Order: sequence, then C-alpha cells, then structure tokens
Amino acid sequence: MDRLIEDTAERIFADHVDKGVLDRAESGEFPNALWDVVRESGLHLVGSAQSGTEPVDLYGVLRIAGRHAVPLPLAEVLVANSLLDEAGFITIAADGVAPWARVADGVLTVDGEFSRRFETEPDTNLAGESRDRVVLVDAERVGLPDDLRERLALSRVALMAGCLERILAMAIDFATEREQFGRPISRFQAVQHNLAVLAGETAAARCACDGAVANVDSSGFVHHVAAAKARVGEAAGVAAEIVHQVHGAMGFTHEHSLHHFTRRLWAWRDEFGREGRWQETLGRRIAAGGADALWDFVVDPSPHISPSRLWS
Amino acid sequence: MFTGLEFEPIDLPATAEALRTEVRAFVASELPEDYWPNSDFNEGHSPAFSRKLGERGWIGMTWPERFGGGERTFFERYVVTEELLAAGAPVSAHWIADRQSGPLLLSYGTEAQCRRYLPQIVRGECYFSIGMSEPNSGSDLASVRTRAERVADGWIVNGTKIWTTDAHRNHYIIALVRTEPPSDDRHAGLSQLLVDLHADGVTVRPIRNLAGGEDFNEVVFEDCFVPDEGLVGERGNGWTQVTSELGYERSGPERFLSAFRVLVEFVRAMGNDPSRDEAVLLGRLASHLMTLRRMSISVAGMLQQGGSPAVESALVKSLGNDFEKLLGELVRLQAPPGHPRLERCLRQTLLHSPSFTLRGGTREILRGVIARGLGLR
Repeated sequence: MDRLIEDTAERIFADHVDKGVLDRAESGEFPNALWDVVRESGLHLVGSAQSGTEPVDLYGVLRIAGRHAVPLPLAEVLVANSLLDEAGFITIAADGVAPWARVADGVLTVDGEFSRRFETEPDTNLAGESRDRVVLVDAERVGLPDDLRERLALSRVALMAGCLERILAMAIDFATEREQFGRPISRFQAVQHNLAVLAGETAAARCACDGAVANVDSSGFVHHVAAAKARVGEAAGVAAEIVHQVHGAMGFTHEHSLHHFTRRLWAWRDEFGREGRWQETLGRRIAAGGADALWDFVVDPSPHISPSRLWS
Repeated sequence: MFTGLEFEPIDLPATAEALRTEVRAFVASELPEDYWPNSDFNEGHSPAFSRKLGERGWIGMTWPERFGGGERTFFERYVVTEELLAAGAPVSAHWIADRQSGPLLLSYGTEAQCRRYLPQIVRGECYFSIGMSEPNSGSDLASVRTRAERVADGWIVNGTKIWTTDAHRNHYIIALVRTEPPSDDRHAGLSQLLVDLHADGVTVRPIRNLAGGEDFNEVVFEDCFVPDEGLVGERGNGWTQVTSELGYERSGPERFLSAFRVLVEFVRAMGNDPSRDEAVLLGRLASHLMTLRRMSISVAGMLQQGGSPAVESALVKSLGNDFEKLLGELVRLQAPPGHPRLERCLRQTLLHSPSFTLRGGTREILRGVIARGLGLR
C-alpha cells in the first residue's frame, strides 16, 4: 500500500476520532467534522480509478480505520465510489440495511440498484454503528461486479484486522500499568500467556487479511475471502474474550473505551456472513476438488497481486 | 502504537514454484505404491530416500557451494520441505542435520568442521541428533549438568542427554554441556560439543513412547573423550548458539503439518458432496492452514534477509502446534464411519499428538518467548 496514504489515514484518524466522537456517533449523531476532514484529505476516494489508487490501498485504509473504530461508513463509501466512479457520500445497502443512509447522497444496493431518493429508518448493529433500514425510490439498474458481497466481507476482514491490532496494544498497555498483588499484572505468567495468544490471533488475522487482499480480482477471490472471513472472525472472538479478561471489570464499563473496539469485532464478524457460512463455502470448494487436490488448493501458486505490494 | 509482531507477505519466486513440480514428480516416482504417507516429519526413516534427495540437491539447499550446498534461497528450501511433508515422504533421517545442525556449523563452526561434515550431510549420508534436554533439564535448558572437563587435546564428557531422537541410528550429536562450574549467570559457562555417537564412552538406550515407537533415546556419556576439534563455536558461548539453533528448529512447516494426512483422508471420506457439518469443519481447518502457511513463508523471508526470527518462529510454532492438535480432535467428531485409512491416520495422529506441543519447545516456553517479544518480560 502507498506509504503516504497509510500515514495520512493513521494521522487523521488518530487526531480526529476519540471517545467523545464515538459516543456521539453511537447515540445517532453523524460525525460531520470527521467526515469533512476525510473528504478534504481525499481518503473517501481511495481505491477508485480517479484517485490513482488501488484495492490494496482501499483495504489498507479500512484496516487503519479499524484500528481507530472510525464511526463513518468508510467501507461502503470507498467501495461504492470505486465501483460507480463517484466522489460523494454513497452508502451500500445489503438486505435492506445501509450504514448512515439517512445522511447519504445516494444508496447503492448489493443487488445492483442505485438511487439518490430513498426513505430511511434509523437502526444500529450491536456495536451501535448506524445500520439504517432503507427503501429506494426511483431506483436505476447499475452494472456491478458479481463479487460485491465478497468485497464487502473483505472490508469487514480488514476492519477487524486493524481493530485487533488496537486491542492488542490496549491489552499490553493496560497489563503493564495495572498493579495487583504489588506488581503490574503483566508480570504474571497466566496473563503473559493470554497476551501471547492474543498476539498470535492478531498476527494470524493480519496474514489472513493480506492473503485475501492479494487475490482481489483473481479467479479464486471468493475462496480467499472465505478463508479470511472465517479465520479473522474466529480470531475476533478469541481476542475480544482475552482483552476483556485482561481489563477486568473496568473494561466492562461504558466509560472505558475498550467496548468501542470489542463490540465492533462482535458486530463485524457477523456482517456479510458469519464464520460458518464462509467455512461451508470453502469446505465445499475443497471437497469438490477431492482429497488429492487439497494440498494444491492450500498452496495457491499464483496470487493476482504481488503480496510485496501490500505493505508500504 | 505497538500493533503486534509483523509477518510481511512474501511472493514465492518463480524458481521456487518450478521446484514444486520437480519435487512432486520425484516423490511420485520414488515412493512405492503401497507406501503409507505420514506428514509427521519424525516418522519415516529412510537413508535410501535421504540419499536420493541429496543427489537431487535438496539437502543443504541454502549452504555455500564450497561445502556442497546449493546456494539457493530459503524460499526454495521452504517449497521443497513443505512438498515433502505434505506428501508424507520419509524424511526423518536427514531432517535435523539439514534443518539445524548444518546451519549451526555454518554460523559458528570452524572451516575444518564445515569441510568435514557439511558435504556428507548434503549427500544425505550423515545424520545428527540434538543434545539439549537432560533427565533433570527439560524446558529449563540452562540447568544442564552434563559437564566437559578440559584435558590435553580435548574434553572428557560425563552426563546424560534424553529424548534424543534417532540417536541409535544417527552419526553425531551436538551436545550442550557445562564447561565451567555453575555461577550467578545461569547462561554462562555452557558450550556445544560435536560428539561421535559411536565413540567410546557413549551408550544409547532406547525409550519406548506411548505409540509403541522407539525413535527417541537416552544418551549416556561416561568419560567420553572429545577431541579439541569437537568444540562448536566458542567455549562459553553455548547459550547464544543454542538459542539461535532453536530459531531454525521452530521455524519450519513441520510445525503445523504433522496431522495434514488426517485432513487429506477426511476429504476423501466425505466425498465431493459433504454434509454441512463436514464442509464447515473442513473450511474452518483449511482457513487455519492457509493462514499458518502464509506466516511460515513470511518467516522464511526473514531468514532469507539474514534475520533471526526467534519470536516469530515461536509464534508460528505455537499456533501451528495448537492447530495440529485441534485438527485431529475435530475431525474425530465428524469422521464418517467405514473409512479405514482415515481411522488409521486419526489413531496415528492421536497417539503422537502429546509430543506436538512438547518437542522443539513446549507451548508454555513458546508463550514465554512471545511474551518477551511483546515486552512483557
């Protein structure tokens, strides 16, 4: 991914997303100031041809957004703008639900309909993120790639991979500062081992995400997304459990910022297909190839995008 | 913000992918039709097969040409090892010498040691054992008590090593020994000695494992004389050397492929139209396997760049060993009846599974290494 984009995204999200912004967004107030900063920076166009950027940049920005629990529908905006060659606030509806539809300029559905006129009713996912119910008026048909749901599933993979990086950092910081029995709890072997497992799941999630991003537009994309959504969804559950155990009762309060991240992990692992749905897709594909082709499937000799281009 | 340990994605070069085809053709032509594949690197001992691999240049692949090596990349070595393991080829004879004894000699050995041993290893004729654990020193390696006393022209070694894989049929052992009395610095005073397993004063006693196998042993040294040229590296530098050796020991695909044949037979048993439960389990295990493989290739990239990925190796080994155990346990629950090959694989894997999270560093030791890498210790 482009280093300048990575640094810009990290700086903007770190500077403009804090607990106040998250709390207000989760109570239904759209973060206008944050959106203005994002639009002025051009981050809302990353991944679209007009911006000269690529899919690796798009999913890279989403991973960094996941680190900061950015309360904007960046996944939908970036994917929609790149597909429609638009430059505005276009959100995407799947199964009649679209993030922040009530403030959007236009709504695209995963079934290929688009409109700038629509009716909305506010709703949220379990993380308190806007998931408005939406009905399009005067919709037009637009041509879309047939793997749009997979692209959106991958957006959740990237968000989760970044979110896991953040909660690992939070767990390490907390365990190093929090003292019990006269020493930081990070000195206890039981805690260290839990953090080691958390680090393993975080690293695995990043690798699984990179593996799927490297295969955007390849013929095997569906199955790479399936592997990534299944693996990262599993990591999200394990990691959220550990990070809460490390934080103790403080992490269970609304006042602490941890839940903004863990509730998102729990929400994102469900969106665009839970683990079981993607495990089944992957398992059926492998079974269809037969036992003697299993290893060949795992090896996948030719990713579409050179993995070395994923990292800046 | 610390965002965790980094595993940069890697392109396997075209040369490595070309080798894959060659290895597959080789394995298909060399193994008899009734060969029973076992993806555990520790099973399957065949000096004849090892010599043939040597003839193909697939041992010591990354080593310098002047010692018989192939001067190839760690990626090419990675592809050869993962293909041999996935096929369940009999690789245990030369495995340790190729994986860690040779690289240890290259890093710390003398020119004479490299000239003497490496070409034999490369030919698939010379096999090594690891002399680390002792009856009273398992995970606490710094507490080893085997001692080497300085005498004219060499050392006199007394003590016992244990869990020494294949010591009864290997040629040499590289033993971690105490060359100075214990002091406040637990890691000081240790050295590594290369000992001929057939020398006077060396007794090898088999230890039967719970699966009925006898591939590991107790090795007793009684006034065993080791000449000066047996010292590997510097006197007193043993701890540093053994730590670097463990990096090689933990880094490879053998740490997540031990139970791979179970998965192959599970796919065969479920056929091409599996139940939902079967497909879900297969997909879950495959998602882990694909991810572990990416991480392992990333570690090969770190080795290729001259790094010492001790923490990253520990992390991949730990995740990989847990996966190997999970695989057998979960397939067992879904295995359709009436598939003897699958049952045989499951039995073999279950009986060996306790060793997965012990050999090469226990899960507990690995998590400690990772915690240190996270700055917690």
